[in-house]
Amino acid sequence: MSTPPPLRIRGLAKSFPGGRLLFEGLDLDLAAGEVVAVMGESGAGKSTLLNLIAGLDTADAGAIDIAGTPLSSLDEPGRTRLRREHLGFVFQAFHILPYLTVAQNTALPLVLANVDPSQALSRAAEMLAAVGLAGREADLPSRLSGGELQRTAIARALVHHPALILADEPTGNLDPETAERSLGLLLEAARTRRAAVLLVTHSARAAESADRTLFLGRRGLGARHAV
Amino acid sequence: MDRLTRRGLLTAAAVAGILPPSGATASTAFAQVIPGRHLVFPRDHGAHPDFRTEWWYVTGWLEGPTGPLGFQITFFRTRTGLGETNPSRFAPRQVLFAHAALSDPRIGKLLHGQRIARQGFGLAEASERDMDVVLDDWRLVRGRSGAMRARAGGEGFDLDLVLTPTQPILLQGEQGFSRKGPKPEQASWYYTLPHLEVSGRLARDGRWAPVRGRAWLDREWSSTLLDPSAVGWDWTGINLDDGGALTAFSVRDARGRAVWTGGSLRTADGRLWTAPNGAVAFEPGRTWRSPRTGAVYPVAPTVRLKTVRGERRWTLKPLFDDQELDSRPSGGPVYWEGAVRVPGGSGYLELTGYAEPLRL
Amino acid sequence: MVRGEWRAHPIRTLVAVLAIAVGVALGFAVHLVNRSALAEFDAAVRTVTGSADLRVEAVSAEGFDESLYPRVARLGVLSATSPVVVVNARAKDGRSLTVLGLDPLRAARVTPALAVGAGPAFGAGGAASGEDSVWLSPALDAGAGERLEVREGGRRVSLPVAGGLPSVETGQRLVVGDIAAIQMKFDRIGRLDRLDLLIAPGVSPAAAAKAVAAVLPPDARVVTPEAESRRSGDLSRAYRVNLGMLAMVALLTGGFLVFSAQSLSIARRRSAFALLQVLGQRREGLFLQVLAEGAVLGLIGSVAGLLAGAALAWSVLGLLGGDLGGGYFSGSRPPLEISPAWTVLHGALGLIVALAGSLIPALDAARIPAAQALKSAGQAGDPGRRPPLAPALFLGATGLAAAFAPPVGGLPLFGYASIALILAAGVAAMPWLARLMIAPLARLPAPVPVRLAAARLAGAPDQAAVALCGLVASAGLMAAMGLMVSSFRGSVDEWLGAILPADVYLRVANAETSGLDPALQAALAALPGVDAMESRRSLTLTLAAERPAVTLLAIPPGEGGAPDLPWRAPPRAWGEGEVPAWISEPLSRLYGLSPGDRMDLPLAGRTITVRVSGVWRDYGRQFGAVVLRRSDYLQITGDAGANEAGFTLAPGADRTETLRRIRQALPPDLAAQTEVAPSAEIRAVALRIFDRSFAVTYALEAVAVLVGVAGVAATVSAQTLARRREFGMLRHVGAGRGQIQAMLVLEGAFLGAVGAVAGLALGAVMGQILIHVVNPQSFNWTMDTRWPWGLLGGLALALTLASSLTALLAGRNALSSDAVRAVREDW
Repeated sequence: MSTPPPLRIRGLAKSFPGGRLLFEGLDLDLAAGEVVAVMGESGAGKSTLLNLIAGLDTADAGAIDIAGTPLSSLDEPGRTRLRREHLGFVFQAFHILPYLTVAQNTALPLVLANVDPSQALSRAAEMLAAVGLAGREADLPSRLSGGELQRTAIARALVHHPALILADEPTGNLDPETAERSLGLLLEAARTRRAAVLLVTHSARAAESADRTLFLGRRGLGARHAV
Repeated sequence: MDRLTRRGLLTAAAVAGILPPSGATASTAFAQVIPGRHLVFPRDHGAHPDFRTEWWYVTGWLEGPTGPLGFQITFFRTRTGLGETNPSRFAPRQVLFAHAALSDPRIGKLLHGQRIARQGFGLAEASERDMDVVLDDWRLVRGRSGAMRARAGGEGFDLDLVLTPTQPILLQGEQGFSRKGPKPEQASWYYTLPHLEVSGRLARDGRWAPVRGRAWLDREWSSTLLDPSAVGWDWTGINLDDGGALTAFSVRDARGRAVWTGGSLRTADGRLWTAPNGAVAFEPGRTWRSPRTGAVYPVAPTVRLKTVRGERRWTLKPLFDDQELDSRPSGGPVYWEGAVRVPGGSGYLELTGYAEPLRL
Repeated sequence: MVRGEWRAHPIRTLVAVLAIAVGVALGFAVHLVNRSALAEFDAAVRTVTGSADLRVEAVSAEGFDESLYPRVARLGVLSATSPVVVVNARAKDGRSLTVLGLDPLRAARVTPALAVGAGPAFGAGGAASGEDSVWLSPALDAGAGERLEVREGGRRVSLPVAGGLPSVETGQRLVVGDIAAIQMKFDRIGRLDRLDLLIAPGVSPAAAAKAVAAVLPPDARVVTPEAESRRSGDLSRAYRVNLGMLAMVALLTGGFLVFSAQSLSIARRRSAFALLQVLGQRREGLFLQVLAEGAVLGLIGSVAGLLAGAALAWSVLGLLGGDLGGGYFSGSRPPLEISPAWTVLHGALGLIVALAGSLIPALDAARIPAAQALKSAGQAGDPGRRPPLAPALFLGATGLAAAFAPPVGGLPLFGYASIALILAAGVAAMPWLARLMIAPLARLPAPVPVRLAAARLAGAPDQAAVALCGLVASAGLMAAMGLMVSSFRGSVDEWLGAILPADVYLRVANAETSGLDPALQAALAALPGVDAMESRRSLTLTLAAERPAVTLLAIPPGEGGAPDLPWRAPPRAWGEGEVPAWISEPLSRLYGLSPGDRMDLPLAGRTITVRVSGVWRDYGRQFGAVVLRRSDYLQITGDAGANEAGFTLAPGADRTETLRRIRQALPPDLAAQTEVAPSAEIRAVALRIFDRSFAVTYALEAVAVLVGVAGVAATVSAQTLARRREFGMLRHVGAGRGQIQAMLVLEGAFLGAVGAVAGLALGAVMGQILIHVVNPQSFNWTMDTRWPWGLLGGLALALTLASSLTALLAGRNALSSDAVRAVREDW
């Protein structure tokens, strides 16, 4: 296949600043449209792993390629551009800017990529329709429920057709029913657009929706919970 | 002692406290009292501004609605020796001072008032033609008939009196030339109008009532001060009921001895005897101690006169004891001046230099 | 929790406290200076008049004839009358002093304050002193036996010193001598300046005043104690107005800064407050807690402010003297008059402002919906809500209406109220205004950071307003002051040009009764190099007993028959046989006179009726001035003297040489008190004095603006720190560090610009009220508006820069890598 995989990690190692080892020898491959759940105990380094993949933190050893580009080959602006073009994020706390409308929030990655504003807004509207928020484009976040906020976040994560979506406890702030619907929406939209999803979660129920579930331990990611 | 020096002291003390000190005194030519001239009236009722000091001194008894009262109204004129060449109308060449007191036994102490001003502007003037002394709202003026009108006042009283002479003028000393001390220049011009018939009105706390009475006017002017050895004096002037008039004074030194004495006795028939130095004596009788100043005054002395016909004595009895006046707040001395009675007469007694020596 | 909050944000808390302190300090200092100066003035008046119930005063320095003294003394309504000669003179060192000639025998009853000094002291002079001896107040440093040299007019008088006047207030420069000696020495034979009167028992002051007034000639007036105190109030009014305004600036700014600090602190602690609610804290409790925080801020600020204010007043009084350099009485440092009641009042003012600033945040805190606040750490309020404009409009309309109200007791209270209301309106309109000004930016196809910044500001106008209100208040008030001062200065400059048309001016200082006699005038005019000379006579006149004296100027007329003056409107004609008079603007306003009116002047012991024929601008004589033709003045008074002259130099004449010749032509004694200077120099000096006297104002204003900027800085940095998670998210979704920094700088710049524009616009309105309401009502003069574009532009630029710089600094902190990870913090 000519298209490089959305994510390829080899031999990744990271320690705390104090020297305590978080993990080492971590390998991971994600194919386009694949959904992988990562579980692990608190403090196992799940968020750190996401930061490393996002290029916001530096690994002690190992290589991360995103859509075929090694992160180590990029300088800070390059990593920023890479995030802007190839990554989408969904956060537990949504992080929807209260002073922007739903459409503006959704269009943010396009705006940052300097897409023409009107085009950006129309693409955002399409995306919002896809997550079931058609007609809410001009609303301000304060009018939205938690589920709607997370759907806006999902739309924002997908609007620029990223290769990889990093989702950090996306259902942590929602009630189980809404959580399930939101997660379903995210995974469906990702699969439709052939975006890979790396889903960090505590919830076994959420992990069930993934294609596969991995556990993070000191020896990296394994199929089973490793102590 | 002679009232001249006494009054000179009082006035000088009062004025010196308030006016600029004068470096000009020595250079100012004050007129001197030289015997031989005859007093001329009414001119000599008026002021003699060339002399250092001068007074119009009225004392007497009033018969008021509540009994007998003593009163005094006195005007002093002092030539300061200041501003002699200053063209300003405010130049303080002459200062007028006036004092009024009322002795009411029911009150038991003196009521008094005073006025002081530099002469000028019609507010403070002493005529040189006849008796007419003005000091703000106070005045002593002699009318064409010879009767005088006196207006003055003080703490809760006002006097508006007509003083009518009933006897001729009494010239003290030698035709008015009255020695005051061992040195010949220690002298004054001195005349008296005894037995003045008083009518008029007296206001107590704003209410006027008619009064009658009998008074005594002393007139004196001079330029000479007390003898240096003197610390005070006793003086009395009595209208005798028989029409006689008794004058006596004695200047004392620090040990209470007489430095100079003088006086006169004129009988109702007009015969005048003038006492030479040494012919008058004040014998201290009962004393009164002032609770305010601590001074001890012989308030009931016996006056002895050694006349050619033999010695005569009068024992004085005050209307009441506390007739002391403390004029130190306004720059004056502390002295006793009060209404006194003798058997067969009434008048005034003045005692100075008992609280502290009178200073020059 | 409170202490933790303050420890976490010491700068912001400090700035709020500082602002309150500055406001209280200024207000208190103004009050103290005013009170001490007034007390000093009263003391001066009391010392000089003693317990006099009533006074007769000469309307001019010429005094009145002494024959009035017995006429008044004999009226029967008085129990004592004390004649006084007053000579305003100078000591050898040039400092002014007052020589009083008294009759101590009369003064003893009426003015014991002087007579006590004059009583025993008169006797204590020693043999060396003569009848012309004088007694000196403690401020005059000469001992008994020395001689005091006094200058008056062209005269030098040497007076032997006999002693001191121990009972005279420290600071008074008073010389007391015998009236006769003073009359002679100062050539005042036959003249008196004052009669101090004691009313007889049982006579009412009004009846006594009436009886006295009935016998007075035109050159004397009755002055009652009430009129006296009113007049002394007038003297310090100018300072009260200026400094009072500044105090208001600082205090209001402080109030808004407290509001900012408290609002932010509430916003940051939303979840904590919500938690407290969940844990059972009642809403009223939260409300009271926030108010209590404000009260503590206010208390600290007030106490600091009171201390600083007392220190400030002390140094101002020391620097400028009791009249603040006004020259009403001569250089003395009056003691600080501190009254407990007023101190508490000023302290309370700071507290009230702080509480008022905390009120809305406290209400907000009590209104936090617990559930929502706990769930999301989001912002309070609804950014979509249109900010209301009605309150601002209402405040603004009330403010404008207040501007048209008349002065209260001679003070422009409504003018101040108007300024305060308009300021409040401006601040209340800020959310609306910010939105209005920023919304267009968001629609521009501008680079990303611009659009983000614009979107953020447009979306959160309340937050922008919170950050801005302190800035808008201080910038607005500063712009208003700047506009007023610039207009004032411009008008003064123009006025100086109009009143100083000649090349060289001569003025005899302190010489109301003497100066240049006609022979000297002729000699001066004939000097080589002098092309033309215009002699003037100036003297002071009292037109109304309760008002300070006005200046009379006798000036040769110009070509049209009227003198050349800075006219407010062209002068009008006067009738045949009438004496025309041209009055200054303050006189016109103070005495309610307009062109065409008739006016009575007390001159030469008579009352002269003149026709008001024009009004001219005058900034030099606050209490009014009236100009007569010199020929009319000469005819009325026979006074051919002059104490001012303007010289036009012959073409080609050497100015320095001519100046030297003029100086040499003066007799030595006169030359000592005569200033001869080129008009350009006088003008420069006048403007320098103007600038110096306003330098204090500028400095205090700068402090107010700095406090405002510091407030913005603290607010912006707090808001920036509160947005750390937002920046983290933006970094995740692909915003570069530079983009975010640019966004922050732009936000700061927009904020500063909006604040500056709004502040300046508000300042323009308030400046107009200062120019057209407060100034005419306080000083009785008008001025033309002159826009200080440089100052306003600079101010706007500085505010914008300061604001963006602050945002940038705060942003650096917020963009650290730790902060980036903050997206995952819960709260």
